[in-house]
Amino acid sequence: MTSIEVTDLTKEYRTTRAVDRLTCRIEPGRVTGFLGPNGAGKSTTMRLVLGLDHPTSGTATIGGRPYPTLREPLRTVGALLDPQAAHGSRTARDHLRCLAVSNRIPGRRADEVLQETGLATVAHRRIRTFSLGMRQRLGIAAALLGDPSVLLLDEPANGLDPEGIVWIRQLLRRLAREGRTVLVSSHLMNETATFADHLVVLAGGRLLADVAMRAFIAQHSQARVHVRTGDPDRLRTTLLAHGYAVTGGDDGRCVVEGAGAERIGAVAAREGIPLLELADERASLEQAYLALTADKAEFAAAAPASPNTSQEV
Amino acid sequence: MSVTAVLHSEWIKVRSVRASLGSLLAVFAAMLAITLLVFATVDRAEVYNDGDPVFGAFYAINFAQIAAIAFGATAVSSEYAGGALRISLSAVPQRGLFYAAKTAVVAAAALCVGLTTAFATFFAGQALLGEEAIGLGEPGALRACVGAGIYLALMALFAAGLTFLLRSATAVLSLLIPFILIMSFMIGDIAGGAADYLPDHAGQHVLHQDPEGAVGPWTGLAVTALWTAAALLAGWEAVRRRDV
Repeated sequence: MTSIEVTDLTKEYRTTRAVDRLTCRIEPGRVTGFLGPNGAGKSTTMRLVLGLDHPTSGTATIGGRPYPTLREPLRTVGALLDPQAAHGSRTARDHLRCLAVSNRIPGRRADEVLQETGLATVAHRRIRTFSLGMRQRLGIAAALLGDPSVLLLDEPANGLDPEGIVWIRQLLRRLAREGRTVLVSSHLMNETATFADHLVVLAGGRLLADVAMRAFIAQHSQARVHVRTGDPDRLRTTLLAHGYAVTGGDDGRCVVEGAGAERIGAVAAREGIPLLELADERASLEQAYLALTADKAEFAAAAPASPNTSQEV
Repeated sequence: MSVTAVLHSEWIKVRSVRASLGSLLAVFAAMLAITLLVFATVDRAEVYNDGDPVFGAFYAINFAQIAAIAFGATAVSSEYAGGALRISLSAVPQRGLFYAAKTAVVAAAALCVGLTTAFATFFAGQALLGEEAIGLGEPGALRACVGAGIYLALMALFAAGLTFLLRSATAVLSLLIPFILIMSFMIGDIAGGAADYLPDHAGQHVLHQDPEGAVGPWTGLAVTALWTAAALLAGWEAVRRRDV
């Protein structure tokens, strides 16, 4: 059981603070969606965890140890950062072989992960002839190479075709079921909603939320019920009397804000109003996310700007 | 981490990228081909025009060293194509180990090819010279063969260090090739004394039967080695400090 621990992590570049006192813990056995707009600090955080960038302050560890101190790190952590990173002049198999050999991973693993990612038939082709989707699969193959207990994947669904997206979704679910720690960054909410159990949301380098996905959606969305009735006027009057906001209603259908189906159903039953349909509206992750970022817009605007801009004032 | 495993991995990297494997083989091919071409066509007296049969035998080193520089530069610059270095340092996060392994593989490959090239060129070239040929017994000949191999390896490492610093083979090649082709000749003619200490000139003293000037054959090679060490140190500082 290996988790990723990020403690008070800060990374400043010359003019910007890409990661700002970030503290979070990515737990094993679930897929953690790493969300935030472009430039929120997701990729920087991943590079800091991998020891590729030097933090300005704070620490990032894997199972309690800084990444550079891991023995044969590919056996513990698999990462996909940039599908364009593999050298175009190598074959897919040679690319994986370089990585496997350095961490004393048996050569057959290269063939196994090529098989698993659907690249077996192009193993001996040069990477420069690959499409973005194939490079993405190769990057995932490289991440899986050492059978690691921790995976960090930056936008793994980028460039994949519809079948590839279904495949990656199932792969991520399976990796989490096997007890691995899976951190997946994305700015696509609807996609993330299909595989994530837990969410870590960043904006402007700061932590906005670190919460289970269902709780996140419940927290940041309004309850709302769709109702169809044979007696719209009476229902409307009754609900308004109970303090609910009702919209629509001409054709017997209306939407009630601020309550769940149980409450509205109970009210209607008590009054003897016949209901023909009653359904909770399921808020999407996207709606919840936008609601959260709207709440925090003020907070984000108040965050310190770059030193340059403040000097110019 | 296992040092041999990392060295093995670096060797796979060198031989699986066409540009670096190609320029490594070009060291051998260029030196041998040009020597044979020149010795087969040019009047024999011209080969010895400065009266030094040993240096004459290594005329083609000017071309071979460009291939050696290209090898050192491309072996390193493949790490700077896209985000390749990120992948490499994820696999081998101890940067010192990564840097040492990469440098060692470049050094070993260049030295093996350099020595093979030097001896092969010497024997093949002399075979064309008939009765004017010299053997390894000729004073300075053996020293020049070994020295030429070491010199080629040092030039490859010099380029490798600079490429770690500048992160681009194009930058390093467009810096070093004009320097070697043009600057050295010009400065060599203008200020003889100082030119003896340029990275390429200094090392080439070892190719002469009787080196003139203040720098001896092995001290000249040592001067080139100092340049190389400086380039590698600068490259290491860059790799150690930079975010990738």
